[in-house]
Amino acid sequence: MVMAPSAVNHPSASEFAEDGDGQRTNNEEDQLLECLRAGDESCYEKLVRKLGPRVLATARRYLRSEADAADCFQDTFLVVFESINKFEQRSSLSTWIRGITINQCLMRIRKQARRQEQSIEHMLPIFDEHGDRIEAASPRQSAAISKLIDTEQMRSIVRQNINTMPDDHRLVLLLRDIDGYTTKETAAILGIKINAVKTRLHRARSALRYLLEPVLEQTS
Amino acid sequence: MLTCKEFDEFMIDYLEDGLPVWQKFMCWLHVKACRECVYFIQQYRRTIALGQDAFESPDVAVPDSVPEDLVAAAIAHRKGNNI
Repeated sequence: MVMAPSAVNHPSASEFAEDGDGQRTNNEEDQLLECLRAGDESCYEKLVRKLGPRVLATARRYLRSEADAADCFQDTFLVVFESINKFEQRSSLSTWIRGITINQCLMRIRKQARRQEQSIEHMLPIFDEHGDRIEAASPRQSAAISKLIDTEQMRSIVRQNINTMPDDHRLVLLLRDIDGYTTKETAAILGIKINAVKTRLHRARSALRYLLEPVLEQTS
Repeated sequence: MLTCKEFDEFMIDYLEDGLPVWQKFMCWLHVKACRECVYFIQQYRRTIALGQDAFESPDVAVPDSVPEDLVAAAIAHRKGNNI
């Protein structure tokens, strides 16, 4: 089950790590922030144009439909506009907004009716009675991705497979492996324990490995 | 020596160098002796790399701009809510 976001509107710097923006970007963001706090109307649009692409890309990554991503985009900027005067600058503006975007995505996922989710149990490693690893035969291993696939096809296959995962596992995988949050940060964002993050991440990676086995053979 | 099943439970911490010395040594010993687990680790690492690469695609990477209707709606939304 997807837990409630731990900080709905105001992710703190301790929860969302700095994202390594350059000094130039930070200076631009500082100026933009000053302008927003001064209530300059044109700066709101500038903010949406400057950071909107990253907000939209993040929303598209976490949400499965374009309509949801667009709604999340609106909700994110509404929260940003409402909260801009409370932003304490313990992280960069873009990091703060990324945290809000992810929280908005998680809230939306949580509100949605639970999808019919496929169990990943059969995709996990199996062991014999002595604890030795047994490789499960992948049902599609011989089902032939016989022709060579190009990079974009490969990326698309990987994204499709990530999207088929149950949300519990998919979200941990996205936060840790794709967005680069630490285990501790991921636990704080999802409101779960660190050990639960590790367990879900290992299961998610193992399941994805199973799903990608036919193409892994090709790319190794 | 650890079994493959026991090693699997430590694997995530082993690969991130997050184990105490003794457990790390036990895992290292297992990996030295187990071809199946070495193969699994190779595929596991490749899977992580493919996952990261999958979102570098132009069709899912950060776009150059946002559709105008989304920008306009965000600004209108702000005005509508008197923020």
